[in-house]
Amino acid sequence: MSAPTPLRVLLVDDEELARRVLREYLSRDPGVEIVGECANGFEAVRAVSETKPDLLFLDIQMPKLDGFEVLELLDREVAVVFVTAFDEHAIRAFEVHAVDYLLKPVSEEKIGRALARVRERGVAGPPVSRLVADAKPDQPRPIDRLLVRDGTRVHVIQASELDYAVARDDYVELHSGGKDFLKHQTLNDLEAQLDPERFVRTHRSYLVNVERIAKIEPYAKDSRIAVLHDGTQIPLSRSGYARIREHS
Amino acid sequence: MHPILSRPSWLALYLASWIPVAALFGIALHVLAQVPLAEAFADAAGLTAVLAFVCLSAWYPSRAQPIAGAGTMGFLLTHAVAAVISSGVWLALGRAWVALLERDPGWQGAGARYNSLLPGLFLVGMLFYLLAAALHYLALVAAKSRQAEQKALELLVQAREAELKALRAQIDPHFLFNSLNSISALTSSDPASARRMCIELAEFLRRTLVLGQRERIPLAEELDLAEGYLRVEQVRFGSRLRVEREVDEPALASPVPPLLLQPLVENAVRHGIAQTLEGGTIKIAAKRDGSRLHVSVSNPRDPDGRARPGAGVGLRNVAGRLATLFGTEARLDAIAGGDSYLVELDLPAGEVS
Repeated sequence: MSAPTPLRVLLVDDEELARRVLREYLSRDPGVEIVGECANGFEAVRAVSETKPDLLFLDIQMPKLDGFEVLELLDREVAVVFVTAFDEHAIRAFEVHAVDYLLKPVSEEKIGRALARVRERGVAGPPVSRLVADAKPDQPRPIDRLLVRDGTRVHVIQASELDYAVARDDYVELHSGGKDFLKHQTLNDLEAQLDPERFVRTHRSYLVNVERIAKIEPYAKDSRIAVLHDGTQIPLSRSGYARIREHS
Repeated sequence: MHPILSRPSWLALYLASWIPVAALFGIALHVLAQVPLAEAFADAAGLTAVLAFVCLSAWYPSRAQPIAGAGTMGFLLTHAVAAVISSGVWLALGRAWVALLERDPGWQGAGARYNSLLPGLFLVGMLFYLLAAALHYLALVAAKSRQAEQKALELLVQAREAELKALRAQIDPHFLFNSLNSISALTSSDPASARRMCIELAEFLRRTLVLGQRERIPLAEELDLAEGYLRVEQVRFGSRLRVEREVDEPALASPVPPLLLQPLVENAVRHGIAQTLEGGTIKIAAKRDGSRLHVSVSNPRDPDGRARPGAGVGLRNVAGRLATLFGTEARLDAIAGGDSYLVELDLPAGEVS
């Protein structure tokens, strides 16, 4: 069984021994080429951009970024097989269209079955990152941190450190401590993820951390602006002003 | 032995409480029976002193004849007979005391006056006996209910401790699955290490089961268990996991509840080492300070980490066990620093067995 082009596989697990056992099984399959190994989520996000694998063997519990967060940050389509000791994430795994969900200790037969599924199904399908964004039923809300991809780097912003966010077409511009980050997400979606007690939609294009608001000033006739502690001026729509008043 | 007689301080208090009775008795003899004042008080002093001890004797029939379960007739008969005997003994001893007084020429006629009062005094003696018996029954009932309360409390503590111990003895299944996965990885590449890890794992499991059965174990054994656990995790985490131990000699022998430290060490791995890219050092420290034992576990921590579901359960269980076993005598403090986490226990060091 020699495929014309081997399946390009990336292994992601923070434990060396867990990667070793996968490598051992996969190396016996001539149709598989292991293009890299990553010990954490940051490396994985970068490696997916650089090595362009067809398939990811992905652990879930890892430091800094967990497996789902890695998928959320990927910029290209890739088939995913989760390998984990935890069975409680299975439902969410299939909601992000994982090809398979393998439990540790993992057997060679299960790996073979997962490979067969990938070959049968191909790597085609909707981009995983989009699916992850859509399907987060068991993700605790409100979320307590935001992940932003910047080239091959990943920034982690604590939700409490976010000052305000501005809608920019398909992106949101996140402002935190004088720095800003661009994230591929709609403002509506971001608003739904954040704590409504803390973040208020002051305008169609603005979501503001209410703890940052220093004062509200009249602007032109019939309109107002919010001034943040650092002096930033945020437009207030009529309904936005009502929401702020309701809040305080 | 009567509970009052067995404690000198109680006995002193008891006798002191009879002093006003003696005074009233003297006044009654003088006013009601026209006994000369000095003689009345002298009579009363001796009679009351004897009466105080005669009343204590009511304890024996009261204890022998419990209020519940005895036949009414038997109960009444016992105390009627006891009342007659007590009163008789009291008056006989009282007669002896008066005879002693009569030796003094100034007290002539005291014996005759005493004899004339005998019927009335006999009734008084019976009444005092019955009053004493009633008070003894009250005391017995109170003691019994206190005992029952104490026992119920002890049972509750035992039940809670058993529950927490059982909870503790449950081994984290993820630890097992991950360890087995490591062994699986080692079987082909490093069979000797795979075997060593199997043995370490078995040793840890066996010790967890055995230690959980005991009431108290020396801290040294608890530390051995934790180190066995860390040796297994060491295989998984490699250079990410480092362990430091700083334990003074007297602390090692101090008895501690089994599996008290283990959840803290497991947390240090699960929420510390496993959540940081570079890992770090888990430091276990213990020292004995007079009658107190201080134990602490610290680990590195990711300051940007997520709040993880399930965090805090282990800590709550340890705090619960400490509260059950030591009440306010023990405390647990968890201190989250920027990139480190520290849990400190402070508990009674206990007797070294």
